[in-house]
Amino acid sequence: MKGVKKLVNKRVKCTGCSLLCDDIIVRGDGLYIDEVIGACLKGKEKFEQITGKNRILSPLVRDKGELKKVSLDTALERSIEIMKESSKPLLYGFSTVSCQAQLKGIELAKSINGFIDSNSVICQGKVLNTAKEMGLTLATISEVINKTDLLILWGANAAESIPRLLNKILFSRGKFRMTGREIKTLIIIDPVKTASFGVMGVRDLSLNIDPGKDIELIRVLKEECCTPSGFPADGVAGIDQDDLKRLLIQITNAENAVIFIGQGILSSQTSVNVVHELLDLVHMINIKQQKGRMSIMMLGGHYNMAGFDQVALSLFGKNHSLQFFDNNLVETSETIISKLSKEDFDCSIIVGTDPISHLPWKLSKALMSKPLILIDNKKSATFNVADVILPSSLTGIECEGLAYRLDHVPIELQKIVNPPNNIISDEELLSKLISRLNPI
Amino acid sequence: MELYKFLPKTNCKKCGKPTCMAFALDLLQGKVKIDDCPPLLEPKYKKNYNTLKELIGSEEGKEKELRIDVETDLCDGCGICVTVCPVNARYCPPTLSGKAPDYPPEKHQLFQVKAGKCELLAIKYCRRIEAQGRERECRVCETYCPRDAIKIDYV
Amino acid sequence: MEMLVNTVRMVDYDQLKEYSFGDENSLKENLAIGIINPEDFEKLNLTTSLNLKLSNEDGKVIIKVKQKEDVPIGTILMPVSIWANQITGISNEQLIFKNIKVNAETTRDNVLDIEELLNIIKK
Repeated sequence: MKGVKKLVNKRVKCTGCSLLCDDIIVRGDGLYIDEVIGACLKGKEKFEQITGKNRILSPLVRDKGELKKVSLDTALERSIEIMKESSKPLLYGFSTVSCQAQLKGIELAKSINGFIDSNSVICQGKVLNTAKEMGLTLATISEVINKTDLLILWGANAAESIPRLLNKILFSRGKFRMTGREIKTLIIIDPVKTASFGVMGVRDLSLNIDPGKDIELIRVLKEECCTPSGFPADGVAGIDQDDLKRLLIQITNAENAVIFIGQGILSSQTSVNVVHELLDLVHMINIKQQKGRMSIMMLGGHYNMAGFDQVALSLFGKNHSLQFFDNNLVETSETIISKLSKEDFDCSIIVGTDPISHLPWKLSKALMSKPLILIDNKKSATFNVADVILPSSLTGIECEGLAYRLDHVPIELQKIVNPPNNIISDEELLSKLISRLNPI
Repeated sequence: MELYKFLPKTNCKKCGKPTCMAFALDLLQGKVKIDDCPPLLEPKYKKNYNTLKELIGSEEGKEKELRIDVETDLCDGCGICVTVCPVNARYCPPTLSGKAPDYPPEKHQLFQVKAGKCELLAIKYCRRIEAQGRERECRVCETYCPRDAIKIDYV
Repeated sequence: MEMLVNTVRMVDYDQLKEYSFGDENSLKENLAIGIINPEDFEKLNLTTSLNLKLSNEDGKVIIKVKQKEDVPIGTILMPVSIWANQITGISNEQLIFKNIKVNAETTRDNVLDIEELLNIIKK
């Protein structure tokens, strides 16, 4: 086949999660993938999606409640009709597509006066929003491997959400951390004893915090950093005095500490306040500390969630929730959540995500009541309610693209095999929609 | 460790081993017999001798074989065993920085992750068989597996 | 009984995996579940044939129950899915995915299929 070389022992990138491992070995004859070596279960499943039984292989249009197979032209025409009839379209998703497709998505939103939002708004976007006022210290994965001596998993179950992360950051032996696991200390702060607790050693600290009390712990630590006056005798948030003392010694004495924020913090009720306090604590420690520094890493799930933040920030200085009118960005404080709860939209275009499963049912109900165009490669709950379905190829396996890793480092994704017949990438689908909307 | 408690712990070296701990390990693997420890046969260790006999039971004398079980239902292919294994680290340099080792695997390589599951390749190069002294007690893969999928056993 | 629900991500009960390779039955079996402590299991008088009904002001859902000792007492862990999202809500423009207060009771009713669930939401 043209463009695809024989792939024995080729190292490729994996798009199974936001870690974007670049050391996966794929073996095959160039047409099919036979073996995936080195990838975790999630990565292997991603590669298996090529032939997965729930793959969408042809465009579909809902006619009187029934989904019917149609040609791509008909499906595109139907989508254009829906878009032209609407005055307040909503675009959502974009966290599992390449940066090029995200750019096209923004262009499409511009040409139909739409509102565009990514999954990041209910995840790591909160941290980046807060960071605009307070600043944010980020670290890259190689920095963590080579320099870090203290890792804090805060409300994150890395062993199950990003399986290879602990392998890369905790057990690897880096340039200035030659002994690997022995020199790195791990602190896990979580109300539930998750699988990540299985890697704890004797020097590590496991803190079973009371659910929803993270903010109290951060405030006490902040107080102690400013004016050391001793912790309360009965502990804070379910953690006793001795553990608190050990925690404070660890975070103030570490040369290079990284806090990994997971969904435990990002999706709690008071997440905005918690993130604000946490960034403040990190800032405070960084000022106080003479030799080292503390940084933050956000553990999002989708492989290119950081990408949309970067693309939107570089274009408009706002990382999500962009409202366009007459080709210009309009100032708005609304997000996808407020738009959906007020039903302030009249059609939706969902790209590469599954909001019906991800969002509370009240918001799903609002989505279902209006026409819905879905661009995705596999069946999902949203598939069951969509009016037009445009199938796309798998970025990183069947087409090229750029994606941002969880530490905000851009990674070029490659093409390994050819997509199924007549299936084009997200980017091409979106540009076809744009060119049909504005014929020259 | 259970066996070590009942040995004389004098490190007399009469059995030919450097320490009583080394003797206990070999006893566990069935390479030596209880009678190989001369002080144990003395009357004052009579009680310990009988307890040891019970602990070892009828399997005494049989060469026990090392087995590393990887439970594929539990394993999620995180690759921590590949990275922590000291044998892998010595022969496959990429694993030092947490990368997946090359393919086809090096002949000394113990673990590899294939199709999302951990695979045991060459048990004969495991430290528990090859190495001497303290290194022989290596249990890192079992200790650090987050989902407790690896079990080291003697059968 | 008053309990707290936490939505979590797990490798074994992953919705992406189920949607890619599963069918309707496996979807229901692996996603419409809650994991609780064995002590709570006894307190609720549950058996393997009974299901658990969770309800709060945002909605209600019926799930199958699995036991695990690591789960804290009074907590239910649910994988992120359309079933878990029947009881999640919105407060102050933030989605509530953690520490959701629910009332748990045993029931003989069956777990709903995804199709039935979607029809109920539509109404």
